[in-house]
Amino acid sequence: MQKYQFVVIGGGIAGVTCVESIATFHPEAQILLLTGTPLIKAITNYVKVSKFLEEFDIEEKPFSYLAEQYPNLTIQNKVVTRLDTDRQVIFCMDNTQMQYDQLCICTGARPKLLSETNPYVLGIRDTETVESFQKKLSTAKQIVIIGNGGIATELVYEVEHCSVIWAVKDPHISTTFFDEAAARFFLERIQLAKEKQKLNEKRQKYETTDRLASAQSSTGNLCGGALGPDWAAERSMKGTSPQPRQVHIEYEVEVKSILTSDEYQERKLSTNTVQSSNEVQWPVYVELTNGKIFGCDFVMSAIGVAPNVELFLKSTNFTLGADGGLLVDANMRTSVKNVFACGDVCTAGWELAEHWFQMRLWSQARQMGHYAGKCMLAYANNEQDSLTMDFCFELFAHTTKFFNMKVVLLGKYHENDMKKYENLIRMTPGEEYIRVTLKDGRVHGCVFIGDTELEETFENLILNQIDVSAFGETLLDPNIDIADYFD
Amino acid sequence: MPRTYEEELKYIERINSHCWRIKKGFVPNMNVEGVFYVNNHLEKLMFEELETASKFGGIGGFLPGMKQIANVAALPGIVGKSVGLPDVHSGYGFAIGNMAAFDYNDPKAIVSPGGVGFDINCGVRLLRTNLTEKDVQPMKEQLAQSMFDHIPVGVGSKGVIPMNAKDLEEALEMGMDWSLREGYSWAEDKEHCEEYGRMLQADPTKVSQRAKKRGLPQLGTLGAGNHYAEIQVVDEIYDRFAAGKMGIDFKGQVCVMIHCGSRGLGHQVATDSLVAMEKAMKRDQIQTNDRQLACALIQSPEGQDYLKGMCAAANYAWVNRSSMTFLARQAFARCFNSTPDDLDMHLIYDVSHNIAKVEEHIIDGRQKTLLVHRKGATRAFPPHHPLIPVDYQITGQPVLIGGTMGTCSYVLTGTEQGMQETFGSTCHGAGRALSRAKSRRNLNWYEVLDELKEKGIAIRVASPKLVQEEAPDSYKNVTDVVETCHAAGISKLCVKLRPVAVIKG
Repeated sequence: MQKYQFVVIGGGIAGVTCVESIATFHPEAQILLLTGTPLIKAITNYVKVSKFLEEFDIEEKPFSYLAEQYPNLTIQNKVVTRLDTDRQVIFCMDNTQMQYDQLCICTGARPKLLSETNPYVLGIRDTETVESFQKKLSTAKQIVIIGNGGIATELVYEVEHCSVIWAVKDPHISTTFFDEAAARFFLERIQLAKEKQKLNEKRQKYETTDRLASAQSSTGNLCGGALGPDWAAERSMKGTSPQPRQVHIEYEVEVKSILTSDEYQERKLSTNTVQSSNEVQWPVYVELTNGKIFGCDFVMSAIGVAPNVELFLKSTNFTLGADGGLLVDANMRTSVKNVFACGDVCTAGWELAEHWFQMRLWSQARQMGHYAGKCMLAYANNEQDSLTMDFCFELFAHTTKFFNMKVVLLGKYHENDMKKYENLIRMTPGEEYIRVTLKDGRVHGCVFIGDTELEETFENLILNQIDVSAFGETLLDPNIDIADYFD
Repeated sequence: MPRTYEEELKYIERINSHCWRIKKGFVPNMNVEGVFYVNNHLEKLMFEELETASKFGGIGGFLPGMKQIANVAALPGIVGKSVGLPDVHSGYGFAIGNMAAFDYNDPKAIVSPGGVGFDINCGVRLLRTNLTEKDVQPMKEQLAQSMFDHIPVGVGSKGVIPMNAKDLEEALEMGMDWSLREGYSWAEDKEHCEEYGRMLQADPTKVSQRAKKRGLPQLGTLGAGNHYAEIQVVDEIYDRFAAGKMGIDFKGQVCVMIHCGSRGLGHQVATDSLVAMEKAMKRDQIQTNDRQLACALIQSPEGQDYLKGMCAAANYAWVNRSSMTFLARQAFARCFNSTPDDLDMHLIYDVSHNIAKVEEHIIDGRQKTLLVHRKGATRAFPPHHPLIPVDYQITGQPVLIGGTMGTCSYVLTGTEQGMQETFGSTCHGAGRALSRAKSRRNLNWYEVLDELKEKGIAIRVASPKLVQEEAPDSYKNVTDVVETCHAAGISKLCVKLRPVAVIKG
């Protein structure tokens, strides 16, 4: 049986970064990366915007890329079936086994689907599911999107020439990221046709290599690594409706049931579609908790993800976090000896820094992967006492794009906090929206939409915890060069 | 009773066409007078700013430049005058563009982090090349892309080498000597850098763990905001002889300007010190007019700790700029299929504009050791000064003035007059005067905010961005600023540069 010092399960961003981290700090380490799908992400065009905000493209590359870089890294396309954590052995579907000294689980999370069996209910998570979605969309006139987070928001924007019914359970859109005022700011943009990508966009390269005809085709449920930022760029997401943009939003609803065409006919209820024609027969109907029923060509389920932990729970009693992920401590260790976890599969179980929280984002997966690699190395060399958390876990920072506008989120920007503390807002219609939340006169969290150029200044203000109460809302006065003031 | 504008004006007196004095009494406890340099346009802006503040009882917690200059004049141990350079504008503690020197050996004299800035050793360096604008125009996008294709965590000729804690410690202690040792700097670079790229009083043990953690992932990164690199061409040569000494010989000659500092590490060092000093002020019975002017006795543990930490942060910034220099050289070499040497990519000079220095100056015929705070101000030593490189002995120290990103930049030289009047200091760039934004109501928008308020969410609303035509003209542009310095005699115009490509981190 092969023995490895370090084994990582999962070839998405977290797993790959973890492996790279170990290999760079310890080039002689014997590392094994097990991935159930043939594609591995490689980060290219990595550009640091400011110390916390990173913008980078994720490019999927075949195995050989990583292997070329690190000679002691073995990558195998295998599916893990069982884990024996007492003997520290991994069993794979092809009946091979390998032994590990240190193991890191980076199996990510899969999209929660409203229905696992209904062929008209889709989720998107990886390249394969995106392509499946594109294909179905190309013949669609109307779709229903359920969910109110990042993926749902991006989908609503990216889909063209297809009527979209967006059903959200909250009183306003995109609650994961936005407060009501910011949501309102975006609402104005929703009905606008999709703009051309702005100039000075970083290059987007997204290669799809031929999928190897291999054992994993029989694994059905196995997902590839999660999509990275800009997953939608340069992907055609067009339906067959003549109108470029048609979005209808239903607020404070959940899905009551999903009906087939026949079931719907049986119900004999009147439909309520945006297309007024009553004769249209849709393949699937969505009944919402407010009584309305919408017919559509298919349903996009974007209601969150569930960590892929089931396989490991079968054989070992891992402690789980409240959201179902493997609970990890400040050294990314699970409750089981010599087993680490990072990325979407884990739940951060250490005492969180004042301005940081976990969100299942690609940037966090990368940061965790990098740190987990360092932790594994430290434990292997009995140097764990010298471990300190990377600084990225001090401050939540995420940069993304919604509706073709740059969005930067810092610290504790959520709506819950917003109600407790004072908020400074600056909004220039169509151009920018800024909200800064203060706690005890210090910056606690921020939302920046548009090219505000303020991200780094406010990052520093959160980290420095300077008392800015004397300035009031003048802190955001556009005529004051606040970046310079605190430079 | 707050003063009226007219009452305030009684304390401000014109000295000459380019200079005004701020008399004692303008703010309480002034130990010396203040002075500020302006031309007609800048003068208007200075007074309008004061008037607006008087009329409205302040501008939202921000003090006008004149008041800040005066508050600094009230600090213990200050010698000479509190000087406002032409680009002076509101900043944290000290105004940006404020120079203030303190008697190092006066037991009551202080040091203040606000007089240095958060971004310790934010500065500028200029590289020359022997390329012309024609050579570069067709390649400029590739060139820019090449420069920042991979912003490394550490620097390396083969790609990414992660910086570890030990590297950082060494960089903090050794500054450019570390870059030299690692092969990222040329030996001549050191010569052409303020402090030779290493402040010897640096002590990495005075830099907190948190500051080091902030700094570790950032070494070799540019930052954002007004930090950038530019590929520039010589637009005008005012002083042929001095320019020639810098290797600038013709219009259209291509140069590279790099503008950045110590990033998060500097911020943390400054923040840590502000906290420590605020605590010590009671013990040492120091009082200031402004809480932001937290300071400590130079000879106290807090004062010395800050200076040592500041020097370490300064060293970090020089390593940062050296890393950028290395990248720039590699990028050009790659693009032009040549070597940096063949392209004559020498470092003309590197200046700091957020720093405190221990310097010898003559006051009333006597030599004194001073601690000179330059925040948003640049050292400008005259010809024959022992601390400037041999090649600039006759012409004086080059002073690099980066305009706002995308606008033009300048190279000046130091003068004897500057040495006398401002302890060898001059401006650093551009600035903006405070002005009151016109309030604009967008009715639909305010409905949303009212709804939020009804829900019990506390909101304060800032005015929106105005379109160009509506924006107040409060901008102190770099051309006005450098021309004022030249006219006032505190530095001399040498070269004007125009950007052809801008690289932001």
